[in-house]
Amino acid sequence: MSSAAPLPVGDVVIEARNLSKVYRDFWGRSKKAALKPLDLEIRRGEIFGLLGPNGSGKTTTLKLLLGLIFPTSGEARVFGHPATDVAKNDRIGYLPEESYLYKFLDAEETLDFYGRLFGIPAEERARRAAALIEMVGLTRDRRRQLREYSKGMTRRIGVAQALINDPELVLLDEPTSGLDPIGTREMKDLIIDLKQRGKTVIMCSHLLADVEDVCDRIAVLHQGELKELGRVEDLLTVTGVTQFRVRGLSSEACEEVRAVLARYGGAEIEVGHPTTTLEDLFLEVVRDTEARPGRRARSPAPSAAPRG
Amino acid sequence: MTAMVLEQEIPRFSAWIGPALLSFLLAASLVALFAAAATWLVQAVASGPLEAGDRVYRGVRTALGDFAGIATGRVWALARLAVQESLRRNVLVALAVFAVVILFAGWFLDPANVDPGRLYLGFILGATNLLVCTVTLLLAVFSLPADIKSKAIQTVATKPVRTGEIVLGRIIGFTLVGTGLLLVMGLVGWAFVVRSVSHTHELLKTSVREVLDGDGNPAGFQGRTSAERGHRHFVSLDAAGGGRAETFRGHRHAITARQDGEGLAFEVGPPQGILEARRPLRGRLVFLDRQGKPAEKGISVGAEWTYRQYIEGGTASAAVWTFEGLSERDFSGGLPLEMTIRVFRTYKGTITEGIHGTLQVRNPSTQLRSEAFPIVAREHTIDEFWIPRTMNTVLADGRTQQADLFTDFVSDGRLEIWLQCLEPAQYYGVAQADFYLRAGDGSFAVNYAKSCLGIWFAMLIVISLGVMFSTFLSTPVALVASLAVLLIGQFREFIARLFASQVTGDSTIAPGGGPIESLYRIVTQTSITLELDPTPAVQVMKLTDTVLLAPMRVAAGLFPSLSALGTSDFVASGFDIPGDLLAAHAAETLAFVAAFCIAGALCLRAREVAS
Repeated sequence: MSSAAPLPVGDVVIEARNLSKVYRDFWGRSKKAALKPLDLEIRRGEIFGLLGPNGSGKTTTLKLLLGLIFPTSGEARVFGHPATDVAKNDRIGYLPEESYLYKFLDAEETLDFYGRLFGIPAEERARRAAALIEMVGLTRDRRRQLREYSKGMTRRIGVAQALINDPELVLLDEPTSGLDPIGTREMKDLIIDLKQRGKTVIMCSHLLADVEDVCDRIAVLHQGELKELGRVEDLLTVTGVTQFRVRGLSSEACEEVRAVLARYGGAEIEVGHPTTTLEDLFLEVVRDTEARPGRRARSPAPSAAPRG
Repeated sequence: MTAMVLEQEIPRFSAWIGPALLSFLLAASLVALFAAAATWLVQAVASGPLEAGDRVYRGVRTALGDFAGIATGRVWALARLAVQESLRRNVLVALAVFAVVILFAGWFLDPANVDPGRLYLGFILGATNLLVCTVTLLLAVFSLPADIKSKAIQTVATKPVRTGEIVLGRIIGFTLVGTGLLLVMGLVGWAFVVRSVSHTHELLKTSVREVLDGDGNPAGFQGRTSAERGHRHFVSLDAAGGGRAETFRGHRHAITARQDGEGLAFEVGPPQGILEARRPLRGRLVFLDRQGKPAEKGISVGAEWTYRQYIEGGTASAAVWTFEGLSERDFSGGLPLEMTIRVFRTYKGTITEGIHGTLQVRNPSTQLRSEAFPIVAREHTIDEFWIPRTMNTVLADGRTQQADLFTDFVSDGRLEIWLQCLEPAQYYGVAQADFYLRAGDGSFAVNYAKSCLGIWFAMLIVISLGVMFSTFLSTPVALVASLAVLLIGQFREFIARLFASQVTGDSTIAPGGGPIESLYRIVTQTSITLELDPTPAVQVMKLTDTVLLAPMRVAAGLFPSLSALGTSDFVASGFDIPGDLLAAHAAETLAFVAAFCIAGALCLRAREVAS
């Protein structure tokens, strides 16, 4: 999880009031209530996560905020403008779920095209495009048409196009989808970096670990309905359970601690060695392999950060 | 070159633009009102009348703001994208198809055709028009639905891009692509036509014989040329050996002679009159009946197409053209008259010979007439006649006196030319446009380019129509809708004529009546040329037809007519395309493109691009 700086109160970037969406068929009959009335405020500088299983209304919410679809009722405002007002788009960057880009363009042409849409001068456009291509690691492939890109590469250029205008607000739909663990980590680092640069980030994902790692606040949606909303640490804190994490404790000392806890009426839940995350293990292996090519990776260091 | 049909006079652009603009604004207002009312109705069903009204108002306000905020930079970016998309979709394959068309034209078009210039030009311009419009229509209807399907539109719509910019960018992009195709096809086509009709002959020395005058002195030569491309020319030369080959298959050749050792050597020049751009000065036609009294029309010989009216031979019947704006400066040497006269024979006569008639010039103010010039009318050719600067006039006492064309016959720039048929029971058929003074010649290359400009106008309309439909329809449906609109547009002139016919009661404008009368005629198997008895039932039927045709007349104006924009007939017939016509076509194209662009932008704005 990112280091949570105190959020400025009252600097609302996104505001949704009673926002709902019902998809209808050709005859206007209600087909699916994709989003039930939603009230939401997202403030400047926070990383906000929309969390939920497939079909829970996350992407619908994003599309409503972007003005790509129209609400059945209620209203969404972005930077104080109605969501359908194109003026707001000057300050927005959007990464769709599958980086819907023009496959006949190469990476440079793609960023040049989107840069032109923002009216960025040619020199600045070229500078930003080069920097973004470098940032997403596509320098060697910048002249290949996107149709030749892998899913991960497409995702990277998608991120670059979302940032071409140096946006104040970045909306990311499933940002780690299609990325390998290294790419996933880089994406999460990028999101945290954006926050540190004062940007507001909204991401939606069904990958709980991704959301947990980077988000300040989350909204949990299920069947189009808001089920939970709050700061990640508040929502995840298990009250009534106390956890100690100690390094280098002998078995005798453990027994003694256990006896002390029993004396004060504490019910023991679990005592043992913590495990690391699979992501950390993978990254450790990759790093080690790159440091010592051709040799089998070492076991994870006993000092690797434990889960939780 | 053969005659060209010009059913309607080409108005001056300055006189045309005012009423046309008014008519456009009226139609645009009606469509806008209708669209707003329909939108309000749909919204009112869902949200109630007040909310619906508010939504329509906000929609209109936002749309106006969007149009005001259109930025050229973004439009250009989207246009570039459309060009890149087209190129990477291998649009240049169209050029390969055109190359095949040219090959087939070279193999199968008959160079021995009666009018090869018209044949080649008509084919090349027609093929170019068809190919360019088809390719650009396909590009236009495929692009936006493909973007919506692939969801690439979402990354564009989330940028500060107005829907008007998306539509306009595509129209401009595809227009650039189409313009490139048209340029290449136009240049290749021009080279092909020029090369195909260019030829020369040799004057066969063995055929040349000297012609003597009545005193036995050498008066000139006669002979014939070698056969080239399936034809040869008869030749009449003056005593010095100069002259020209007779006009055959729409062209002639100049012949020059030079002294070559033992005698004269003749040189036949390139074809003349085959790729020209004549600038005609047309007059206004009125008829005189067989008693010589003014008549509204000539005689009908039973043809359903009333473009040409007939005058009877051997009577006082005449066709009289009044020309205006004649000046001595423009026609100092006389009047070069060109005419196409149809012949209707009530008896066969000598079929290989033409029908004899006369031409006279008359001063419209003093009624002074020249002597009659004899002519022979031949079918399917443009006859040339030179009205000299000085000619004889017959005085009341029967004496003749010399008179000057401009001093004695032209009054305030006006002059009458009378045509009469001399042979009893034979008829001359004429139309206003068939008779003109050749005021000058333009460049054929420029005229060809003007015709390509007409194709460009058609292409622009096709593209904007396709893009408009693609904003709210899928590709196949947008394609069918575009073709349907273009097809309906072909009937625009007919519906206008039909309405005029109903209102004026003049069935010759468009025989057969409106929808109900047509149905009645079909059921009762009554010919369209047969006037119905004016019974009360027929009167009611005609009135109902008029009421039904009125909205059809208004609606027809909303459909573009590509054939009305076509100018290839001018080029193929060897006439310079008038600037007034091109300007009117440009204005009409601009109006349609603007209307389709606005409609497309509003439709795209009204739809959810990500649903």
